[in-house]
Amino acid sequence: MALSHDPLLVSKVLVLDETDVHLDSLKAFCEECALVGIRPQRRGVDSVLTILHSNVDLGGILLYENYGATPGAGVLLAREIHAARPELPLFLRRDTVASVAGLGTQDAAMFRCAYTLADLQQLRSTLEASIFSRVYPNALVRGISEMTRVSLETLFSHCEVEVETPYLVKDRIIYGEVFTLISIESHWCRGYMMFQGEEPALMGVIQRAPGNEDAALTFRDLNSTLGELTNLAWGAFKNRYVGENLDWAERAQTQVPIVINHQRRFISFGSDDPQLCFKYTLRERGDPDAVAVPLYQRFVFNLNWSPADFKENASVDSLFDSGDLELF
Amino acid sequence: MAQVLMVDDSSTVRNEVCDFLKANGLTVTVAVDGKDGLDKLKADPSIKLVVSDVNMPNMDGLTMAEKIRQELKNASVNVIMLTTENSAAMKERGKAAGIKGWIVKPFNGAAVLATFKKLVC
Repeated sequence: MALSHDPLLVSKVLVLDETDVHLDSLKAFCEECALVGIRPQRRGVDSVLTILHSNVDLGGILLYENYGATPGAGVLLAREIHAARPELPLFLRRDTVASVAGLGTQDAAMFRCAYTLADLQQLRSTLEASIFSRVYPNALVRGISEMTRVSLETLFSHCEVEVETPYLVKDRIIYGEVFTLISIESHWCRGYMMFQGEEPALMGVIQRAPGNEDAALTFRDLNSTLGELTNLAWGAFKNRYVGENLDWAERAQTQVPIVINHQRRFISFGSDDPQLCFKYTLRERGDPDAVAVPLYQRFVFNLNWSPADFKENASVDSLFDSGDLELF
Repeated sequence: MAQVLMVDDSSTVRNEVCDFLKANGLTVTVAVDGKDGLDKLKADPSIKLVVSDVNMPNMDGLTMAEKIRQELKNASVNVIMLTTENSAAMKERGKAAGIKGWIVKPFNGAAVLATFKKLVC
């Protein structure tokens, strides 16, 4: 059975399993299911938690019950993972029984499903329901990626901009030290867009921009640049996907609290639905030693999601070119 | 004394536009939102052109444009919006407020310089 989610989208999963034979089967399965598998270099709780701290854009974790060649060690590891990142769905591989039978109630509740390599159907359908539970229109995914790349190239004209394959994340961890947040309102979706990045790396990029070399820039200059990036991407989204003449008064303007835990770098929009994530990489031109500076863009349609009503504005092709003056 | 008033809450945009206009011989002053823009315009009668964002805190650019005509009774200053917005409804509101033109961001100085220079004469 083929997954029915958007073929443009993938999701990253952490694979904690044993022998190469099993890993190869899981790798093939992942490719078939549009999953990008990530493996730790070393085994052990510390190594896994280090990965969790460095990867903030996972869709889930595939875990073997006897990980580390110790019976039941996978379940003990699952407790640590679940305590650290309860939002990440866990999928338990067992040797013979494709169920959580025999586990305690609390342990069983940590897993979305149990599966065996002999029958991956259960895993496939649970992945569909938990990671690829939302359909994002191809035109939307492509459009966001294109429009944001243009906005980045405008603001960081001395950089090459690379775009990774967009993916879905279940993580709620904030990447880096600085992020922007803006609401998106339309007749077919309501929610938020975020950009997240690392302050020191991004400060370096704007400091080396033409004309800024000798300027005494501060974090406020970075805030302003990211604010304008957000504004450009948001404006492009509105102009392309948000219709006019909406009678907002007739619509229920529901809101839910947004909760941020600074200690854990965690942000919740009150929804467990997978977020649409784009990763852009800035690389300064003409500098062979330039480091790749990542910037993450996330969409969280937590207040309304009606993709059946999605459409691009009919006038999108005839929009006045950006930057040109339309005289009245 | 300035020819152009640049109104935007983003210092990135203010700096970009100001640097370009100054490098091309225009005198420019800045404001951080519509309210500040009205104050700056009141204080400097030499301003001939207002270039303003739409979405700003405290007072948006379209409200500022309406107040320039209605409250300041200034019918001569040229107002141009520089914004990410491209909605027909907003442009209609701008036209009704007597604005001169509309630019969708990002700013492309070379495309508008000649017109800006005419508008400050």
